[in-house]
Amino acid sequence: MSYYFAMLLIYTLSAVKKYPEKFETLLSGLNGISGASLYVVKCKEISAVVSDIKKADLIASRSIVLEYAEVIDNLAKLFTLLPMRFGSVMESIDAIADMLERNYCEIQLNLLKVEDKLEFGLKVFCDSEKLKEELLTKTKDGIKSPANPAHEIENSVFREYVNKKLKEHRLEELVLVYVDSVIAEINSYLSFLNADSKIKKLPSASVMIDAVLLLPKGRKNDLIQAAGDLQNQYPGLSFVMTGPWPPYSFVEIAIK
Amino acid sequence: MRENVIDQSKDITILELLDRVLNKGVILTGDIVISVADIDLVYLGVKLMLSSVETMEQLKSGKPIKKPILGK
Repeated sequence: MSYYFAMLLIYTLSAVKKYPEKFETLLSGLNGISGASLYVVKCKEISAVVSDIKKADLIASRSIVLEYAEVIDNLAKLFTLLPMRFGSVMESIDAIADMLERNYCEIQLNLLKVEDKLEFGLKVFCDSEKLKEELLTKTKDGIKSPANPAHEIENSVFREYVNKKLKEHRLEELVLVYVDSVIAEINSYLSFLNADSKIKKLPSASVMIDAVLLLPKGRKNDLIQAAGDLQNQYPGLSFVMTGPWPPYSFVEIAIK
Repeated sequence: MRENVIDQSKDITILELLDRVLNKGVILTGDIVISVADIDLVYLGVKLMLSSVETMEQLKSGKPIKKPILGK
């Protein structure tokens, strides 16, 4: 092993409980960034998959990041692991072993949480202007301007302004109620699938819902079915799923 | 069953992948590692990576550590 670069890049943390020889074989068939050999630094049953890394290879170019992700993806197909964020470097094998020992319990807890589970992304896109129009049409009375009290001047600029703001506010409320109803529907499917989720509402104008889901490996087809059902139920929205991913979004650990 | 709900679009998948690899996963905190959890590394990556390596070299040589560059 060459210590020339004196920097080690960490790809994953895992506890290989079953088939350790399979893990070794898989690892020997993979290459790290720029073809670097992958090897393991161990602390009890926890293994960190690492490779030597050149300073120039730490620049987050698309191809380098993809090479990094490919290692994680290949390992995740067969073993439960915690993916490391790109750029996690330490200076020596000893430093990594110490880090594993210091964070042993937290790493174990996180590994248990994601054991035999897959992550999926679910984004719900909408045409926000069209949606607002539809919601306005569906509202029984629409959004009416409040009647002007008799003592006020009818064309008051102030009143026009207040009415406009009031309408906008009520429209936003309608949208939020609608988004909540879609989320409630999604959640009812997710609870049936025994899935964990993290859901963001309206992260941007065109994305109504941005969710990440963690579910048992065997439920993948059920999730596809559920997403299809949701799409049929809401033809005006667009449901886009990505995955399966290693459990990037469900790792809650800041290594000390 | 609608199989097409699993996205096949390369662009969305690549963006999702980059978001995960650069912004999620186990974070190493400490003196020598990039610790910019919520910053968009797609744009800031180079600076941050170089900053991180610079910091490590400063640590090794015993020089005082500069703060990481976070601005655009």
